[in-house]
Amino acid sequence: MPATMAKSRAAFKKKADHVEQEGPEEPSENGFVRESGDQEEESERSDVVGSSEDEGSSGEGEIDGEDDEEIHQSAEESDSSEDEVAPRNTIGEVPLEWYKDEEHIGYDITGKKIRKQARKDKIDSFLAGVDDSKNWRKIYDEYNDEEVELTKEEIRIIRRLLKGRTPHAEVDPYAPYVDWFDWEDKGHPLSNAPEPKRRFIPSKWEQKKVVQYVRAIRKGLIKFDKPKEEPRFYLLWGDDSSVAENKRHGLSYIPAPKPKLAGHEESYNPSIEYIPTQEEINSYQLMYEEDRPKFIPRRYESLRNVPAYENALKEGFDRCLDLYLCPRTRKKRINIDPESLKPKLPSKKDLKPYPLRCYLEYRGHSGPVNSISIEVSGQWIASGSTDGTVRLWEVETGRCLRVWDVGEAVQHLAWNPLPELPILAVSAGHKVHLLNTGLGDAEEKMRIKELLHVEEVLTDDAGNSVSAVSWIKHEKHDGITLEHLKTVSTVEWHRKGDYFTTIMPSGDSRAVSIHQLSKKHTANPIKKLRAPAVSAVFHPTRPFFFVSTKKNVRVYDLSKNKLIKKLEPGLREVSSIAIHPGGDNVIVGSKEGKMCWFDMDLSSQPYKRLPAHPKDMTNVAFHRSYPLFASCSDDCTAYVFHGMVYSDLNQNPLIVPLEILRGHTSSNGRGVLDCKFHPRQPWLFTAGADSVIKLYCH
Amino acid sequence: MPKHYRPPGKKKEGNAAKYITRTKAVHYLQVSLPTFRKLCILKGIFPREPKKKVEGNHKTYYHTKDIAFLAHDPLVEKFRDIRAHKRKVKKALARKNRELADRLLNRQPTYKLDRLILERYPTFVDALRDLDDCLTMVHLFAALPAVGGERIQVEQIHNCRRLSHEWQAYISQTHSLRKTFISVKGIYYQAEVEGQKITWLTPHALQQVLTDDVDFNVMLTFLEFYEALLGFVNFKLYHSINVKYPPLLDPRLEALAAELYALCRYVSAAPERQLGDSQAISSSENEQSEDKKVDAQTDESDLRLAQLQHQLPANEPGTLMHLVEDATGADDEDNETKECKNLFKKLKFFLSREVPRESLLFIIPAFGGVVSWEGDGSPFKESDEDITHQIVDRPTQSHMLLSREYVQPQWIYDCVNARIILPTEAYLVGRVPPPHLSPFVDNEAEGYVPEYAETIKRLQVAASKQVLPMPGLESGDLDDPHNLLAEGIIDRAEASEAAEKKRKLAMLEKQYHDELNMELQGIPYSASLSSKNLQSSVEDVQEDAPADSEQMEKDTRDLSMVSMSRKKRRLYEAMQISKERKKANVNILRERKNKAQASKKE
Repeated sequence: MPATMAKSRAAFKKKADHVEQEGPEEPSENGFVRESGDQEEESERSDVVGSSEDEGSSGEGEIDGEDDEEIHQSAEESDSSEDEVAPRNTIGEVPLEWYKDEEHIGYDITGKKIRKQARKDKIDSFLAGVDDSKNWRKIYDEYNDEEVELTKEEIRIIRRLLKGRTPHAEVDPYAPYVDWFDWEDKGHPLSNAPEPKRRFIPSKWEQKKVVQYVRAIRKGLIKFDKPKEEPRFYLLWGDDSSVAENKRHGLSYIPAPKPKLAGHEESYNPSIEYIPTQEEINSYQLMYEEDRPKFIPRRYESLRNVPAYENALKEGFDRCLDLYLCPRTRKKRINIDPESLKPKLPSKKDLKPYPLRCYLEYRGHSGPVNSISIEVSGQWIASGSTDGTVRLWEVETGRCLRVWDVGEAVQHLAWNPLPELPILAVSAGHKVHLLNTGLGDAEEKMRIKELLHVEEVLTDDAGNSVSAVSWIKHEKHDGITLEHLKTVSTVEWHRKGDYFTTIMPSGDSRAVSIHQLSKKHTANPIKKLRAPAVSAVFHPTRPFFFVSTKKNVRVYDLSKNKLIKKLEPGLREVSSIAIHPGGDNVIVGSKEGKMCWFDMDLSSQPYKRLPAHPKDMTNVAFHRSYPLFASCSDDCTAYVFHGMVYSDLNQNPLIVPLEILRGHTSSNGRGVLDCKFHPRQPWLFTAGADSVIKLYCH
Repeated sequence: MPKHYRPPGKKKEGNAAKYITRTKAVHYLQVSLPTFRKLCILKGIFPREPKKKVEGNHKTYYHTKDIAFLAHDPLVEKFRDIRAHKRKVKKALARKNRELADRLLNRQPTYKLDRLILERYPTFVDALRDLDDCLTMVHLFAALPAVGGERIQVEQIHNCRRLSHEWQAYISQTHSLRKTFISVKGIYYQAEVEGQKITWLTPHALQQVLTDDVDFNVMLTFLEFYEALLGFVNFKLYHSINVKYPPLLDPRLEALAAELYALCRYVSAAPERQLGDSQAISSSENEQSEDKKVDAQTDESDLRLAQLQHQLPANEPGTLMHLVEDATGADDEDNETKECKNLFKKLKFFLSREVPRESLLFIIPAFGGVVSWEGDGSPFKESDEDITHQIVDRPTQSHMLLSREYVQPQWIYDCVNARIILPTEAYLVGRVPPPHLSPFVDNEAEGYVPEYAETIKRLQVAASKQVLPMPGLESGDLDDPHNLLAEGIIDRAEASEAAEKKRKLAMLEKQYHDELNMELQGIPYSASLSSKNLQSSVEDVQEDAPADSEQMEKDTRDLSMVSMSRKKRRLYEAMQISKERKKANVNILRERKNKAQASKKE
């Protein structure tokens, strides 16, 4: 048998070179097993079929059909049983219904037709069945068209098969296996072939392998004695004297921060005050997870009660993670006194004089005082209030000299900067009044009267340009009224006293208008602003004009009539603006309580932002001669700053906060509404929403 | 255009060139992520924080030089070898080629970490500086159950135990332990070696549970490095005191879980016994499971112990004294070490069964005490007459000897921290001991001094007065506050009087200042204005002086805030917040204390 041959050869080869032969060995083994299995199967089947065919007719028919094709084949293959009885019919494996309507069922071996037998009718067959006691054994063979009677032997076999046993009772399926063939020490080889030559000559490949090994041994690649055990630890660090050698190479090493050392609360027996009460522990549940204390102190009466810490391993692991996963940077830990952060400022004593405390109060208004203005000489102060009156006070005594009733809440007022023209510009509602204060000597009064005289023709002129402002004579008091289309918020004079500007915040393209008093003429030089205008100021020396909108401050050159600069305070809403008398520095106050100092020569960004007030800033002001500026806000305070501007362009302005002035009380959420400096003295006037004007002196 | 656009042909520069994300680093090194992790841990390479995170905010960045440093390490190649080798073994096993597998397993590629240690810590002091985590980890693993089949190999745990004992033996014998603290997490120790303060935590000697939420691969990699590091450190330390390393231990003591004691004895005996003797004691230092060994080897080891004791100079105190003399001869000891050495000098301790023996066996000799314990192998028995203190931790002690005091273990720890022998009344058996306070907290800086800390301070002052009548010996800076404090406590009346005087002086001064101010402001006023109003206003100001001064303070603060730059202002505010928080914490403590006292009174 070839399989056994293969096996024995394989075994032989295995001894010779087991590694290489492992591959081919397996398939041959498998082949052997399969083949022998097949043979056994076949023999069994042939037995079964043979015995069934012993009785003269094959038991197969439609019952088996095509399902048992294999059995057919095996039956055909095993010629020994086929020889005994040849089937009568020779049509082969054709469907029998082809012969259904024919007279014959097929042909015999000589080629003659085999006639169909006469059919018994049902009754006959039934009767035959009843009569014949052996009828149950009979099976109709359709192929040969005959009835077959099964023998007792056959029925026994069928019964055994049905029970799933071996067909023949005498076969013992579990008989011990006897290996008749002794494999070892076989005297005669299975094959008769002569021993090949290769069995007698030394293997070339083996020799090559040996040479390889020899070379490897000579080279020292293969060592036979075990490597010597070196001591695991030795003196790794010698003396640390040579510094250059002992430096760590590569990038700077950032040592990991050491874990925090245990505090009192971690003790197994802390003092009572470190143990949180039950309520406190419960309240931890309400906290955010990351705010919750990681460790809740507990107290154990004695050391023996302390249990093992359940998070020991976890914490060790977390530390490991921190060590190799956390990015490390060198952070400068600031360990300084917070007071040292405060900038070194020149002492306040050196910066005197500046307004310190309240010296005088001017009472008389019945509503919040919106605006104040001091006459150039510093002798008079005018104030306008929401109660619709304008009052004129003497500064040093606090005496109220005059009261004008304007009729509407006064928004803003301003004295004419010329000392010989004591005219007051008052904005109230849609109107701007130019009031003759009646101060000064007779000659001046005459001039003023002339100046404030409005001819009727002019109103006609104004009528032509309906949009423009109309100049009307004031009915009650001697003066002029400028009728505007919208509410006027601010009035500011030019330094020469001839021009003044008014702002209508909701006036769109006509928001800013410049009026000339001598000619009673109004112009709108600025058309485009992009944001509601807040206030406008003339440059103290040059023909420049500052318009502050809510977002930024625009600087126009009036002589060329164009925009020359835009200052970006970066604030939410600008509320006020003031220009340093030198003209190069501007402060801008905002509704968020911040003040920006601009150095016009430096940039359009603020040089400094001073977050002074917690509430809206209402006004800012520069002193005309002293290096002072102030801001006032709705938080009822006014801040006084020292703002020194040096003529040396390299030196930045020095800004020192000096004093917080308090005294006003809040009413309706508003505090100090306006602040102005005295033109000559370091005094500050503030107008409050509590209808009081205060004078702060040094 | 993308955010960080680089035109083609232009090299990367800045942060994009300097830093590399982890994924890219892994690709660059051509290793797997676990290997990369292992490399990083062993080489001590950590992510860094670039100024600009070019690849995105949520990524880990390594410095390119660090990665290049990794790439040039022979360890990378070694890891590849190991991986290939493992595959070979696996293949052989899969083919049932046991022979080949065994052959391969015998020749596993190994690597050593000594080079890495020297690279990371060029000097010994560097290594000591970074030893905290190492010690904590090794002690943690030493406390884990040495059970086969767990994720941690038994040998590793035994090795950890041995290393930790060696370390403790050195610390104990050189008296360099400084502070101890029993916390809930375990016992903290702080030692000072070569001027470096080294703090470590040992878990309580109880069965630790191996949790599942821990990646043991990472921990074991760390442990691998730490074991090597601690081994070399121990070698150097033992070398510095002329003791052979690794020490050969008496297996009997080792078996009795008194390894530390055995080590201590070895270390202390070493100066006498030079090379020749070591052979006599040498024995196979095998670490088998203790329990089995005890029964089998008791007789044998008894013999050996007898031998050992013959070789040792007479008895414990003698050897210790000898060591002390040696040490003083070397004169590298500072005052603190001397102080520590003499703390328990004339005391003899006996530990009963229930106290944490290992910890106390470590601490008491470190502070010059003599100690024995209940059980086999102890140097002296409970019945010894000379025992001064017996450490017990049980509700009641049935049999009491008058010659000794029965104290709870906390007494030892508190004595060590306070550096004086505290009175034992509060710590006697069955009582609830006074609160155990952390020695690591600077009470003054914290702003709250617990009551017991004050008591201890008072006792310290009293002790220092007794011991050192001449304060001239000590440095004046240290002594003065103590004295001041003592005076303050002793005659409080005087102190209060002084305080009152000070207050009065301050008042007078303030008045004077006010007047000065008045004058200063008055002059310009009178020049321009009538001075009457001024007077009245000044008087007004004086009347509501306290309120005004508060206002003034606030004003000045506001004003200074205005002139600060934004950065500084934020910093200042943050500082104020942290200050407030600290204050709030202290307030909570005070409140709780008051409540507790109130409830006590009721």
